[in-house]
Amino acid sequence: MVWNPQLSRLSCLLASFLVSVAVLPATAQDLRVGAAAPDFTATDSNGKSESLDQFHGKYVVLEWHNQGCPYTRKHYVSGNMQSLQKEWTAKGVVWLTVISSAPGEQGYVTATEENSYLSKMHAAPTAVLMDSNGKVGHLYSAKTTPQMVVIDTAGKVIYDGAIDDRPTPDVEDIKGAKNYLNEALSASMAGKPVPTPYTRPYGCSVKYAD
Amino acid sequence: MRCFRFLLVLFAVFVSGAAAYAASMSASASADAKHLHVQLVVPETVLSAGEPADIGLYFKLESGWHVYWKNAGDSGEPPHVRWTLPDGITAGEFQYPAPKRLPLGPLMDFGYEDEVLFPLTLSVAKTVKPGPAPLHAKVDWLVCREVCIPGKAELEVAATVGDHAGKTAASGPDVEIYKRLLGRLPEPSPQGAKAVFEPTATGFRLAFLAGQRETSAQFFPADQNILSNPTPQTVSPMATGLVLDLKKDPNMTANPAQLRGVLELSGGRAYEIAAVPGSVPAAAPPTTAGDAFRAAGLAFLGGMILNLMPCVFPVLFIKGLSLVQASGEAQHKQRGHGLVYTAGIVVSFWVLVGALLGLRAAGATLGWGFQFQSPIFLGLMAGLLFFLGLSLAGQFEIGLTLTSAGGSLAAKQGYAGSFFTGVLAVIVATPCTAPFMGAAVGFALAQSAAVTFAIFTALALGLAAPYLLLTFQPAWTKLLPRPGAWMEVLKQATAVPIFATVIWLAWVLAQTRGAESVAVLLTVFLLLAIAGWIMGRWPARRIPSVAAGLVIVFTIAVCVYGLNVFAVPVVAGNAATSASGVGGARWEPWSQAAVDKYRAAGRPVFVDFTASWCLSCQVNERVALRTPEVDAAFRKANVALLKADWTERDDAISQALTALGRSGVPAYVLYSSNSATGSGDAPVLLPEALTPGIVIDALSKLPAATSASAGNL
Repeated sequence: MVWNPQLSRLSCLLASFLVSVAVLPATAQDLRVGAAAPDFTATDSNGKSESLDQFHGKYVVLEWHNQGCPYTRKHYVSGNMQSLQKEWTAKGVVWLTVISSAPGEQGYVTATEENSYLSKMHAAPTAVLMDSNGKVGHLYSAKTTPQMVVIDTAGKVIYDGAIDDRPTPDVEDIKGAKNYLNEALSASMAGKPVPTPYTRPYGCSVKYAD
Repeated sequence: MRCFRFLLVLFAVFVSGAAAYAASMSASASADAKHLHVQLVVPETVLSAGEPADIGLYFKLESGWHVYWKNAGDSGEPPHVRWTLPDGITAGEFQYPAPKRLPLGPLMDFGYEDEVLFPLTLSVAKTVKPGPAPLHAKVDWLVCREVCIPGKAELEVAATVGDHAGKTAASGPDVEIYKRLLGRLPEPSPQGAKAVFEPTATGFRLAFLAGQRETSAQFFPADQNILSNPTPQTVSPMATGLVLDLKKDPNMTANPAQLRGVLELSGGRAYEIAAVPGSVPAAAPPTTAGDAFRAAGLAFLGGMILNLMPCVFPVLFIKGLSLVQASGEAQHKQRGHGLVYTAGIVVSFWVLVGALLGLRAAGATLGWGFQFQSPIFLGLMAGLLFFLGLSLAGQFEIGLTLTSAGGSLAAKQGYAGSFFTGVLAVIVATPCTAPFMGAAVGFALAQSAAVTFAIFTALALGLAAPYLLLTFQPAWTKLLPRPGAWMEVLKQATAVPIFATVIWLAWVLAQTRGAESVAVLLTVFLLLAIAGWIMGRWPARRIPSVAAGLVIVFTIAVCVYGLNVFAVPVVAGNAATSASGVGGARWEPWSQAAVDKYRAAGRPVFVDFTASWCLSCQVNERVALRTPEVDAAFRKANVALLKADWTERDDAISQALTALGRSGVPAYVLYSSNSATGSGDAPVLLPEALTPGIVIDALSKLPAATSASAGNL
């Protein structure tokens, strides 16, 4: 008996192959409205580390963002997104803009580029999360830019979906649109259930790393 | 390239509005916008009062760009149109052809590439007076590749309302578009067909029963937010149709009253269905039990023959050798080895199938042989075989070093070795399994989990059978030579096929991951050689054993880390160039759009589904596909040649294989041109072992109309 014993030593190696193969493709998680918002830590455009945990007890808005996306531009060129940011942060809401475009993909920006964009557009989010590895995006199953997620003071997701009910890139369509974000925040702050907790988001697809 | 794309988007964002409006000013029947041509298609411009008229909106898209179905999926928007029509004329709703799945990272969209016609019906009231009837449409759309560009145009066709006598036979390009594309509309559910669904823990089981067995299908939900779009849909064939397992959108609270949408079956047959709640028959009804038994029987035979395939040879050497050694042992021990070897094979097939089904359920699109698409797997496999080769060649004896330290029973160690040999046999046999029994593996994976496991168990038993039989018939092993000094020579010789396998794996890795991956691999080999040297120099001592173990652990880390970081995928374009080298025929990379394009242009299409790690594929390409006579036959029949390279994971190719009832490569498909036969006919699947004669014979059976058009190109 010469090599059979050797082989047995190698069987643990083999087990590690199978394990490594099994864990290779990562799968996106399902976000469920009504469930606890998954915690995350990410670096913002000023290099500061932000975690969801630190905002516990406050309303948090997550806004998926991509400067070049025509649907996002609709809400920034018109000033709509900035006025939403100012209106709600003034009421104590934490507004986190998330950029999940991977390096080399459309929509990816450096922190410096993002900061100059923020000042040029007079945008007023609490912070912009530089999520270039898509960690936060995958955690929240973010599909499009813009996509809005609202988290309540108990840390529960109370809204996930589109910013409003006019899925077009036209600035004219902002007027008269039903804004789901306003609706969710207003209802929840008034102690009422959110009338439309889940919609299909519209916009450009989030440009994750392949 | 990416930078260019980014600039393109920015540019497009700024100018698209202007361009679209510029196009709208002329208000002609068609407009050229960014990445597409849009056209109002009116086959008969003379309308009749009181009679409906068929018109449509046609998009011709740049390669790689798409527009969307009515349910665009996870992102995107379908085109919209606002009509300005003369009094008494009203436009009906768009009709949508069956869409395609358009995967985009973790998202899944539904839409159209290449070209699409959205037909609709105008109703013309009886009261409409004869005279000019301008049809004016404001159209807007979203056209996407990785990036999305909205566009709009105003289109107008100067139709007239005339009387019946004034009608002439319809002709012209609009009629041609209509004729060519109208067939892509889904048909109403066939008479007597039943579509029911029932909720499950994670989604729905949807049954479509129309009388005949179906093996592949895709359901496109008409309503948004009902299904998790990217999750692959599992098909269970039934005697009278099929059952689809669908995953629901996790945010859906109440079950829908109906599941409405388009069900696409093999060969492009598509039906509009509206499934109602009801009881879905069990996935494995008695009628398919016969099929399952037949498949299991075939799998057993296939497993036996698999022993003769080149993949399994290296392992056979090891097994044969151990048989010779064991011939002196007690009979019950030999039987034990045979049974343990069998168990090793069975268990590893179960692990592989389980992993594959589990990953599929979790959302991955994979087929048989999937582990060879992972560079880390290839690297570890090559490292393992290299180490084994070193040992066989005599550099060291792991057994002596490690097991003496542990002081375990030799017999027990021997059984573990037999088990592991079985595992190794399965691992190296996988790339041969699919080629050898493509249809059977494809069938097995489409069954319920229980049937799938049963068929693979039969395959495993078949693979183990020859050796098992020998251990149970000791009379036959008496024919084998007595153990002796010559065994040492044989053992060393066995290292040769093992090292040959290592060369093959290194070649596969270099093909897909470039020179850096080979550098990583060679480093891994060096470290393994050092570990082997330590074990050979100081056998059976505790400290060197531990040191060697540490080196091996470090080697695995180098392999995993190095291949992850340094091994970059070789750009897909090289598939085309490497393929076009021999024979002179032009092999282009496969895409469904390319298949459709060539067929629409009147050319037959041949698709080679292949992978670097698939040995049969390589053999077939060299002995049949790239030979001068086959090349000449391809040219004579004016066949468009497409190569679908599955060496790396490719969801589009996995889906195409599934649609063909296969789960792995090789697969060879010959499509006749649309103009020869109309679009709906099924493609011809060639056998998995090709000869020039088989290919030439298949080409000669192409419908005659194609050879008539051969002179054009």
